[in-house]
Amino acid sequence: MSSVMMHQAALGAPFRPAPTFIRRAAVLGAGVMGAQIAAHLVNAGIPVVLFELPAAGGDPNAHARRAIQGLGKMQPAPLADPADGAHIRPANYDNGLSALSECDFIIEAIAERMDLKRELYGRIIPFLSEDALLASNTSGLSINALADVLPKSLRRRFCGVHFFNPPRYMHLVELIPGRETDPEVLDALETFLVGGLGKGVIRARDTPNFIANRIGVFSLVATIHHAEAMGLGADVVDALTGPAIGRPKSATFRTADVVGLDTLAHVVEGSARLLRTDPWQPFLRLPEWVGGLIGQRALGQKTGAGVYRRQGKLLQVFDPSRGGYREARQVMDEAVREILSLKDPGERLDALRSSEHPQARFLWSIQRDVFHYAACWLAEIADSARDVDLAMRWGFGWTSGPFETWQAAGWERVAGWIREDIQAGRSLTDTPLPAWVDAVTEVHRSETSWDARGEDFVTRSPLPVYRRQLFPDRVLGEIPSRARYVTLDTGAVRLWHLQEDVGILSFLTPQHAVGAAVLEGVLQAVTEAEQRYQSLVLWHPGELFCVGADLKQVLAALERKDYGSLEDMLARFQEATLRLRHASIPVVGAVRGLALGGGCEFLMHCDHVVAAMESYIGLVEAGVGLIPGGGGCKELARRAAQSSPDGDLFPFIRSAFETVALAKVSRSAREARQMGLLRPSDTVVLNPHELLHVAHVQARALAESGYRPPLPVPVPVIGKAGLANLQAQLVNMHEGGFISSHDLAIARHAAAALCGGEVESGSSVSEEWLLQLERTSFMALLRTDQTQQRIAHMLKTGKPLRN
Amino acid sequence: MSENAVYIVSALRTPVGKAPRGSLRHTRPDDLLAHVIRGVLDACPTLDPALVDDVVVGCAMPEGSQGLNVARVGALLAGLPDRVPGYTVNRFCASGLQAVALAADRIRLGESEVMIAAGTESMSQVPMMGHRPQFNPSLFHDEGQVGIAYGMGLTAEKVAVRWGVSREDQDAFALQSHARAVAAMDAGHFRQEILPVTVRHAAPDPQGNCIAVQERRVDTDEGPRPDTSAEALARLKPVFSAGGSVTPGNSSQMSDGAGAVLLVSERQVKALGLEPLSRFAGYAVAGVPAEIMGIGPVEAVPMALRRAGLGVQDLDWIELNEAFAAQSLAVMRELDLDPARVNPLGGAIALGHPLGATGAIRTATLTHGLRRTGGRYGMVTMCVGTGMGAAGIFERM
Repeated sequence: MSSVMMHQAALGAPFRPAPTFIRRAAVLGAGVMGAQIAAHLVNAGIPVVLFELPAAGGDPNAHARRAIQGLGKMQPAPLADPADGAHIRPANYDNGLSALSECDFIIEAIAERMDLKRELYGRIIPFLSEDALLASNTSGLSINALADVLPKSLRRRFCGVHFFNPPRYMHLVELIPGRETDPEVLDALETFLVGGLGKGVIRARDTPNFIANRIGVFSLVATIHHAEAMGLGADVVDALTGPAIGRPKSATFRTADVVGLDTLAHVVEGSARLLRTDPWQPFLRLPEWVGGLIGQRALGQKTGAGVYRRQGKLLQVFDPSRGGYREARQVMDEAVREILSLKDPGERLDALRSSEHPQARFLWSIQRDVFHYAACWLAEIADSARDVDLAMRWGFGWTSGPFETWQAAGWERVAGWIREDIQAGRSLTDTPLPAWVDAVTEVHRSETSWDARGEDFVTRSPLPVYRRQLFPDRVLGEIPSRARYVTLDTGAVRLWHLQEDVGILSFLTPQHAVGAAVLEGVLQAVTEAEQRYQSLVLWHPGELFCVGADLKQVLAALERKDYGSLEDMLARFQEATLRLRHASIPVVGAVRGLALGGGCEFLMHCDHVVAAMESYIGLVEAGVGLIPGGGGCKELARRAAQSSPDGDLFPFIRSAFETVALAKVSRSAREARQMGLLRPSDTVVLNPHELLHVAHVQARALAESGYRPPLPVPVPVIGKAGLANLQAQLVNMHEGGFISSHDLAIARHAAAALCGGEVESGSSVSEEWLLQLERTSFMALLRTDQTQQRIAHMLKTGKPLRN
Repeated sequence: MSENAVYIVSALRTPVGKAPRGSLRHTRPDDLLAHVIRGVLDACPTLDPALVDDVVVGCAMPEGSQGLNVARVGALLAGLPDRVPGYTVNRFCASGLQAVALAADRIRLGESEVMIAAGTESMSQVPMMGHRPQFNPSLFHDEGQVGIAYGMGLTAEKVAVRWGVSREDQDAFALQSHARAVAAMDAGHFRQEILPVTVRHAAPDPQGNCIAVQERRVDTDEGPRPDTSAEALARLKPVFSAGGSVTPGNSSQMSDGAGAVLLVSERQVKALGLEPLSRFAGYAVAGVPAEIMGIGPVEAVPMALRRAGLGVQDLDWIELNEAFAAQSLAVMRELDLDPARVNPLGGAIALGHPLGATGAIRTATLTHGLRRTGGRYGMVTMCVGTGMGAAGIFERM
């Protein structure tokens, strides 16, 4: 069977778990993790009972209730819609356990103590239904040791599920089977975690700290060890160990402050206890000065001071040599910066290790030790090198896992360097690299990855749920198994397909920004798609949909004072979005991540949108001194008319006005719906990797339903009555000093565009009238100095200017 | 033509609930109104309700559950005979006081002898500015009238700046308002004027399929906070102006409530053997620029006093509606009012301000307060949105 045919088979009969599989869930323990896991279950539409110890006084559920209320205040928000807290029911262990009998999935997330967990299991067992699944969200305790207290029948339905904090946002969940866990239970649970909750599941073995924390905690202590050895301050360490080497912005010590130094100390001490036979065990400790900070209750973010503290506007860092804080500088040496800018990963690593510069040697040492450690433990902790790499990416936010980084730099060469360092006593331990390192020349191949225990290359999981992921996250060297057929490639956009009936339109520009070439490409591609396909999906690979208009092009034209070409481009923008709306085939937008400005406008002109829950959508033009000009205001005016059956357009228009004037960005797809940027009929999916699959299904459904493009209908607008009411809000904000005069001018233009201008309330206008208003306002604002300053500032700093 | 004397023979009010989440939130404003109308009539059992010539009711946002001419609805709900008419009057925050003045005027003129004046407002059910406000677009074309669109808080900021009222003074005034209100409640000073309300709340019974009706008697004001402090007030952020001084803590509270007074001619007082509580002595209203509406009483008070033939020093008790501490202090300083005589039982910052009901409610407070303390003359005054001030003078009997 050809790969294309396999595709069709896959897309034609996707795996669907029984919809009633997990109807209701329970979370035991309303701490930070428990409450947030409960919130994420609710995000997925599953009602939850959240248990905590009984409270003294009138309300025995007070502890759990407080945790649920607390969800509304946490940042980043655990709930996609704050109102969903109502679907979490508070309960307590003393008189609420009977509620467990209604629950299909029980996640225990109480304190990390074997005795407490075992005691709780003893209490809940009589209340569990016959086929309920029980899982522990432990980060370090042995799943088999926990299973020992369970009756045999329950051990089949028990395993570990390790969520990462914050569970809504961190993709990784480690799934840890016990010795007796039923494989079918694991498959069903993995299917639920991936398809239902949208997580990235890695199956881990029952070894201490499982996979991601095993490597991650080691990486942290190794980093701290080498920093001390080379005399690097915490601020320098953070400058070196953040995005510069593909790690998160919070790098090492700022992450520690966010986690909490006390929590971190607890984790490191726990690891040292569990990993007594690990040759690296002596390094599992934090320096004394961290203990000192904990002693002074400088625990990090939660107490206002930790490794860092803020004194007014000044950021200070703890300096162990002085025993106090000093100004944080975050300097990476220019020589090191140059090395890191080398394109070739092998050259880069080689330059770091060959350098005499302590910062460079530090960077080589911490990476070498992680390679060394990961290689030595791969066979014991994970099923494949791919699992380790994805776990580090999904759980720790690394852009590349340790094996990928190693392989990219040349497997054998790096292995030689590591061995050299081991022999020279430069590595943390003299544990030799495992023999398999020499037996392979790579760990990731096009379709397989190295399993050190089985000593073979293994494929990805065959679970049907993964067939829905047409483009899963891939590790280095892995090639897409999907055959792609390109119909049109203009350099700025590509029209292609996986299946003959559904075209896919993708932007090829950096961050999918929309410039003149993209607009021309869209117009050309839609015409082409109408000839070749039954439907069209607008989807871009990667983690963001589109950052909006290409401001560089706009600024360049402004510098030439070439308003004519800008006006033409604007008209072209409107033409392109309208082309999507009026194409003869249905167009489905598929969005994840950011969809800003023009990106949002493209979506608003699709017949249907499939949005990942984590979609951050907004008409943010006000930030650069403009209003939406690609049909965004027009669409909001149209949606106001459609969603106000009693004819009172103002509530919708007021909210739309705030969305535009305040440049609001949704914090979830659910919120985008409430803001009117997505329609109630648009689809929200939890797993972003399933977007393209669901978009295909929706596109095909529209095509199969006798799709015809919408006929132009007049739009009733609120006119000058609405405009006057919005003006009333604006004069108060301006007089109160909350907005600048230019903010006021922008908002007035937005108000006029949304209300349909100064016409009588209830007037019907054409779409062209609304588009004309947008263009006029857009161009008027573009000609102002303040807007031009805002655009230049945004390009220079990436931040909006308030002028 | 000599004018006829007008006497208040009964003055009552509901407790004032917090809006929009207080205990009166589900109680309709026309029901609150009917309740106080029945109350003032019940207080004068010798007076046949059929003698009532008219019912004048103030309401600042007369729409929704307080629309449909709430005065007539309330009168009929109160059980007044069909022949007793009713009309609603709107002068925003002075509506209740305006109702008293209009009712008194009918008697002064000699064309009526028994009048009910009242005010009712549920800010829980009808928000400030109503459900669907529609500003005239020309306000924004003519810069001179844009002040009409200013929120009340912004006008208070303007007054604070122009009259130099500091944040500290505003907060201290707010703290005093709460302290006085709490002390007055503890001393039982509101007992005579408050007509307790039985509130009913109907909801599905969680156990069964029937409707469970919960009843509760409400007999005290909900606004005063014994636990507030200078520090707590100082922590609040200004909400109407960036870097301003007006906060939720030194502004009046949104409230639900109603009040009513029964006004009678001298002839009927004698004929029915009624005991007059006070005499209506005069009223004035005047306009000021909309953007400094809070200063309104500065214009209205001297006019009202002049008409009553009195000076500020003659006033023993002043009910000055505390729309905002900023405007209250500016008015007090401009008119040289004795702080000890202004709002001795606290004001709207603590007690709440159910817009159109406030005039009638504070008339009840003043009437009973003067009798309790033996003071002779008293005044109810307030600023009014869009730039007005109103003042009514009363003499204890």
